[in-house]
Amino acid sequence: MLSYILTLLPSILEGLVMTLKVFFVTLVLSIPLGVIVSIFRLSRFKPLSKITELYIWVMRGSPLMLQIVFIFFGLPIVGIAFDRFTAVIIAFVLNYAAYFGEIFRGGIESIDRGQYEAAKVLGLSPYRTFMRIILPQVIKIVLPSISNEVITLVKDTSLVYIVGLGELLRAGKIASNRDVSLVPLVLVTVAYLLLTAIFTVAFNKIEKRYSYYE
Amino acid sequence: MKGKKIFILFALLVLSIFGLVGCAKKAVSGGESKTVIMGLDDTFAPMGFRDENGELVGFDIDLAREVFGRNGYEVQFQPIDWSMKETELNSGNIDLIWNGYSITEERKEKVAFTDPYLENRQIIITLADSDISSKSDLAGKKVAVQNGSSTLDAIYKEPEIVESFDGGEPVLFDTNHEAFMDLEAGRVDAVVSDEVLARYYIQQKNPEDYRILDEDFGSEEYGIGLRKEDKELLEMINSTLNEMREDGSFDEIYEKWFGDNDK
Repeated sequence: MLSYILTLLPSILEGLVMTLKVFFVTLVLSIPLGVIVSIFRLSRFKPLSKITELYIWVMRGSPLMLQIVFIFFGLPIVGIAFDRFTAVIIAFVLNYAAYFGEIFRGGIESIDRGQYEAAKVLGLSPYRTFMRIILPQVIKIVLPSISNEVITLVKDTSLVYIVGLGELLRAGKIASNRDVSLVPLVLVTVAYLLLTAIFTVAFNKIEKRYSYYE
Repeated sequence: MKGKKIFILFALLVLSIFGLVGCAKKAVSGGESKTVIMGLDDTFAPMGFRDENGELVGFDIDLAREVFGRNGYEVQFQPIDWSMKETELNSGNIDLIWNGYSITEERKEKVAFTDPYLENRQIIITLADSDISSKSDLAGKKVAVQNGSSTLDAIYKEPEIVESFDGGEPVLFDTNHEAFMDLEAGRVDAVVSDEVLARYYIQQKNPEDYRILDEDFGSEEYGIGLRKEDKELLEMINSTLNEMREDGSFDEIYEKWFGDNDK
């Protein structure tokens, strides 16, 4: 049994690399984009806020898998063709930025208006007020919700199968179909559990580090 | 100062997004180049799948390597999702579908098929102790089929039998493997599947645990799917496959993968 698991490891690890690539690139790009989305969404310039609302509705309201399909297979019809990985990243970043945007919006709105007024009285520019006063508090408020999304993202990475990219779950399915056994799928489940355990611990650490103003 | 750093971070972010867009590649269409891209579902044993070392192997892989090798072509294998195969072909991401691809009337409207190279029956599989022995015994039973497969089309050619199933329709699974697992768990009473797949599966498991009924839901033929405009490539594959049948190399590859199976 153990020797069988050992033969599975190389292909599972190869799938894990793709899963982690999708995961980290998406995370690094979509969190900052989410901040921008939340600012646009809260903008007093109505058209911008409305367009952002529409974007959030489309991204959260339709399956991510179909968004990948449209970006990879649909856009070439109008002459925009991406390679597989790029298409997947664009879809994931746009999708997750919408979720992160709403999380940040909730965080920003929970900050007392009085703080803006106080900052104004102290002569801080709106940009500095946001960056130095508001955002640090927002980060600490939204961290639990962000970690929730991050865990979801780990598992959503399996959706890249639709453009044929070989990630963790696909590696498991290949081995499972070849060897006619459930063991590869059990192994894949363990891999996902390990990943989420690592990220849970990491987020607990980050939350502790950001437990300022208390 | 920190604000500036964050601003720079944003600027980098925006740049990297544009960078990604810049990576956009135009879809390459086959034709002049001596490389063909063959699309396959790499979860599909025994036609095309990955061995323990991650290498693509299988009946169709060996066949394709031989056909294109003889003509001085290089084959690139591109894993695809099976539900997207025709879209992948027609958008030019791949040049051919060669992976236990059954010839059907519906598919003929979208893709050009080579001459059939393998025959495949739609067989009915039950557990060895089952009391099902004919198609009519399937009445009131739960029958599992792979979704989107040609097996599904085949059973609907006999709608009165499908209507007699428990629930009036088959239980659909994403893969044949899942259908078989449900059979073993006793939640379905029979599986209808490609003979090629089923025999591979049963061989991997314990052959005595299963029974294959004499009756079937008709047979189908495997062909290679190409874009309709790639006529030269199609001719080439057809004539090389014929050549390989004559010189015995086709049978050699067949025996390697299907051994002494009676078909």
